[in-house]
Amino acid sequence: MSFIVRTVARTADGRDIVRPKSFDKAELSVGRSPSSDIHLPDLAVTLNHAAIRIVAGGYVEVVATAGLPLVVNGKSTEHQRFSAAQGADVRIGSHSLEIEPGEGEEKGSVIVTVSRVGAISNASEDKEEAHVFSLATVLPGKRPLAWALAILVLGIFLVWPLVSIHTQPIDQTRKVAFHADELWTSGKLSQVHKTLENNCQACHVKAGEAVRDTACAACHTKVHDHADPKKLADARGSLGIVGATKQLVGGVFGIQPGRCVECHTEHQGTTAMPVTDERFCTNCHGDMSKRIDTPLKNAADFGDNHPQFEPTIRFAGADGVPMFRRVSLDANPKEDSGLKFPHDLHLSTTNGVAQMAKTLGKGEGYGAPLECANCHTRDATGTTFAAVKMENSCGACHSLAFDQVGGTIRTLRHGEPAQVIADIRAFYRAGAPRNGAFQGMERRRPGDFASSGQRTAFAQTSAMHIGNAEQAIRAVFSKGGACFDCHMVRATGNPTTPFAVTPVSLTRRYMTKGWFDHAAHDTENCTSCHAVKTSRWAADVNLPKIAKCQECHGGQDAHKAVPSSCAMCHDYHRTGFAPLMVRDNRARGKAVEHIDEKAMERAGGGI
Amino acid sequence: MATKSLRQATTGRERASEHEGFLRYQSYKWLKIALTLCGVAVLIYAFNDVQPKPNGGTIYGYTTGTIGILLILWLTMLGVRKRAITPGRWSLKSWTSAHVYLGLSLIVVATLHTGFDFGWNIHTLAYVLMMLVIGSGVFGIAAYASLPQALSANRGETTQIQMLDNLRTLDRQLNESAQPLDADGAAIVQMALADDPFGGGLVARLTGRYSKCGTRAALAAVRAHPSRGEAEADPLDHVEVLLERRRSSLSRIRKHLRLKALLEVWLYIHIPLTFALIAALFVHVVAVFYYW
Repeated sequence: MSFIVRTVARTADGRDIVRPKSFDKAELSVGRSPSSDIHLPDLAVTLNHAAIRIVAGGYVEVVATAGLPLVVNGKSTEHQRFSAAQGADVRIGSHSLEIEPGEGEEKGSVIVTVSRVGAISNASEDKEEAHVFSLATVLPGKRPLAWALAILVLGIFLVWPLVSIHTQPIDQTRKVAFHADELWTSGKLSQVHKTLENNCQACHVKAGEAVRDTACAACHTKVHDHADPKKLADARGSLGIVGATKQLVGGVFGIQPGRCVECHTEHQGTTAMPVTDERFCTNCHGDMSKRIDTPLKNAADFGDNHPQFEPTIRFAGADGVPMFRRVSLDANPKEDSGLKFPHDLHLSTTNGVAQMAKTLGKGEGYGAPLECANCHTRDATGTTFAAVKMENSCGACHSLAFDQVGGTIRTLRHGEPAQVIADIRAFYRAGAPRNGAFQGMERRRPGDFASSGQRTAFAQTSAMHIGNAEQAIRAVFSKGGACFDCHMVRATGNPTTPFAVTPVSLTRRYMTKGWFDHAAHDTENCTSCHAVKTSRWAADVNLPKIAKCQECHGGQDAHKAVPSSCAMCHDYHRTGFAPLMVRDNRARGKAVEHIDEKAMERAGGGI
Repeated sequence: MATKSLRQATTGRERASEHEGFLRYQSYKWLKIALTLCGVAVLIYAFNDVQPKPNGGTIYGYTTGTIGILLILWLTMLGVRKRAITPGRWSLKSWTSAHVYLGLSLIVVATLHTGFDFGWNIHTLAYVLMMLVIGSGVFGIAAYASLPQALSANRGETTQIQMLDNLRTLDRQLNESAQPLDADGAAIVQMALADDPFGGGLVARLTGRYSKCGTRAALAAVRAHPSRGEAEADPLDHVEVLLERRRSSLSRIRKHLRLKALLEVWLYIHIPLTFALIAALFVHVVAVFYYW
C-alpha cells in the first residue's frame, strides 16, 4: 500500500511543473507544517490539518485532524471514506488534492495530485485591468442608465398624459382631481380660470390645434365683438416684421389673427388675469382715422397722445327737446340741466350761505360752511355719486313750508307744479292766515329763515297775505318766488295750471365711452379736480380736462405716479360698466375697500 | 491634459511643439463664438418687450428654443464623433472645444428661452436636466484640467498594472513569511490578503476612505499581538514590515482609484442625464404643440 504525491507548481509563463514523490506508508499527514507529508504553503491551512489513510477493503479515508472541516467532492466534512477505485476531489484551503487510483506501473498505489487552485491573495487573482481600475465595477453602466432614465421620462411625462387624455371623460363625469396631462402645463391658470386647472381639454380641444375662440365662447356667451369683424380687420395697423412673421407662420398652422388669447394670455400664474397690453389697442387706435372712416379720434398713449375728453352734454334742441352730444371740454360746453344753481355761492366760506350752514348746526348735519359732501353722496358702488335730491340736500335751507295746522307743517309739493298750484288755491279758499312778518312769496333765503328764530313762526306767517290765490301762484313761479329761482319756469297759457317747471335732468355719467372711478381717487379733494368754487352757473360742466388727469396719470410705460394703460378706463368688450382692470381691483391701491364688489358685479359684471 | 503645455524637443532638428488643450484651442475661437451667441441672445431679450411677461411661446422663445434643441442634439453627437478620430479643421479637439463652449452658452440661450417662467412641469424638468448635464460637464472640465497632474504625480513612473504587481509581490512575500505562524497569526495575515484593492462601493472610490480595510486591521492586530516581546525576534516582525509596505502600496492604488473615479464619475451623470434630457425635450416639444 503506497501513495504517490504529485505536487503541481505553475511557472510564471503558465507551464505546470509536476514533482512526484512516493510514500510507502498507509497514512499521509497534510498541513502547513514543513514536516507534513503533503506540505501546503497555504495560510488557510493549519500546521497539521488532515490525514489521508488507506483502509482495508480498497478504501481511502480523509480525516480532519485540527477540527477544521475540509471539502470532499464539494461536501464539507470532517471525516470521509470513499473507494480508492473511484477517488475523490479534496479541497483544503486554496489547494486541491485529487485522489485517484494508480494505473499501469503505478497500479495499486493511490495517486494524490496536489495543486493550488486559489490565488494567494485577492489582489493576486486575475483582474482585467481596464475594468477594475474604472468606475464600471461600482456603478451600473452608462448605457443602461441612459436607457432607464429616458424611458422613465417618456413613461411618466409622455405616455401617462396621453393615456389620461384618451381615457378620461371631458364631460360632467370628469373627476376634479389631478390628471396627468397637467404635467404639460406651462404655468398656473389665472384666478378666474382656476376651476379649469384639472381640465386642459376645456380649452385645448383638439390635439395640435391652437386654442380657438369657440372654446372661450362655450362659457363666455355674453361677450360680443368689439366692432364689426370686417371693420376690425380694416382698422388694424401695420403688423411690423415680427407681427407679420407671426401671422404668416400662424396662418400655416391655421391660427387666425384676433383670437381671444392674443389679448387674454393664460398660464401666467395664479393672479388676476393680466391686463391687456396697451399695444393691442393702439395698434388700431393709434392712427385709425387713416385707415377707416370713423368719428373716433386717434389715441396712442394716455400721457401724450390722447384726445381731450368729450363728455356727453345735454342741451335743449329745437322746441326745447332735450338732445345729447359729445363736446370737447376744450370747447367749454354748457349743459342744460333745467336747474339754476351757482356752485360758487354755495361753497363760499364767508357769505350768507356759509353763515346759514353754521347756524343750522351739527344737529342738522351742517355746522360749518358747506362742503361738497353736504349734497353729494357716494352711491353703493363707490364709483360715482347718488343723484342730488332736493329734500335732503336743499330742503334744510330752501324750505317749502307755507302753513301750519296744529303741529304739522304744510309744504308745497316739490316736483309737482300742478299740485303746488292746487294747494295754494285750496289754502286761499280756506282763508289764509295773516301775519306781517313776511311779505310776498319770495324764495326763502338762508339767513331769513334762521333770523326769524323759529320755524313754526315762519310757517304760520308764510306770507300768504297776497290778495288772492292767483297772485300768490304767480309770485311763487316768478322771479324771486320759491320755484323760479332754482327752476326754469314757463307759462303754459292754461288757466288751470298756468305755470310749468322744466324737469331737472342731472347727468349721471358724462364719460360714457370711458370709465372713471371716484373711489380710486379718495386721496384727492373734490376741488383738486373739479373747479366748482368758481363756477357761477349750473350750466358749467365742471369736469377736469385731460391735463389735470395727466398730472398723475401717464401712458402704460410712463414714469408717472400712475402708469395707465387703455384698459384702466376703457373696456374692449363694452358692458357699460367698469373695465376689467377696475373690476379686478388692479393698480388701484387702497381704494379697494371702498368698493362694494357685489354692487359692482350687479352693475357691470356677468361673464 | 487641458491646459498643461508640454515642450517636446526632438533629436536632430530642434523643434518645440506647444500642446494646445481643447479649452485654448485656436485662441479660444469657440469661446468667442459662444460669447457672441450669448451676447446677441441677451441683447435681443433685453429689448424684446413681451407682454404680459416673457415666455417660450414668443417668436424669440421659438427661436432660442430651436437653437437650443439643435445645439443639444449636436452636442450629443460628440459621443459618436469621438469614436472616429480624424485630424484637421473638424478635428476631435475642435469638436471638444466647440462642445464645451457651445454647451456652456446653452446656460444663457436656454434660460432666456424659458423667460424665467418656471413651474412643476415637463418644461422646467427639461431645463433642470439640461442644467444638471451642463453642471456635470463643468465638473468634468475642472476634473480634466486639474486631476491628471495629481494622477501622474501619485503614480510616479509606474503603470497601473505595475502598481498591482507590486501589491502581488508583497502578497507572495507575506504569504511566505506567514508560513511558520500558527493559525491565529495566519488568520491575521489572511485578513490582509483577502483585501480586495478594488472593493468598496462608489463612496469609498470617491472619498478614498475604506472603512473595512483588512490590511489596516491586520496591522493593528499584529501590533497588538500578545506574542510581540520587546527584544526577542518574532516572525511577526517581518510580517509587520510587509504589512506596512502593503498598506502604503494599497493606499497609492486607492488614491489612483480615487482620482480616476473623479475623472470618470461626472460622465455617469453627464451621459445618462443627456438621454433623459433628450427624452424630456421630445416630450416638451410634443406637449407644447399638442396643447398649443
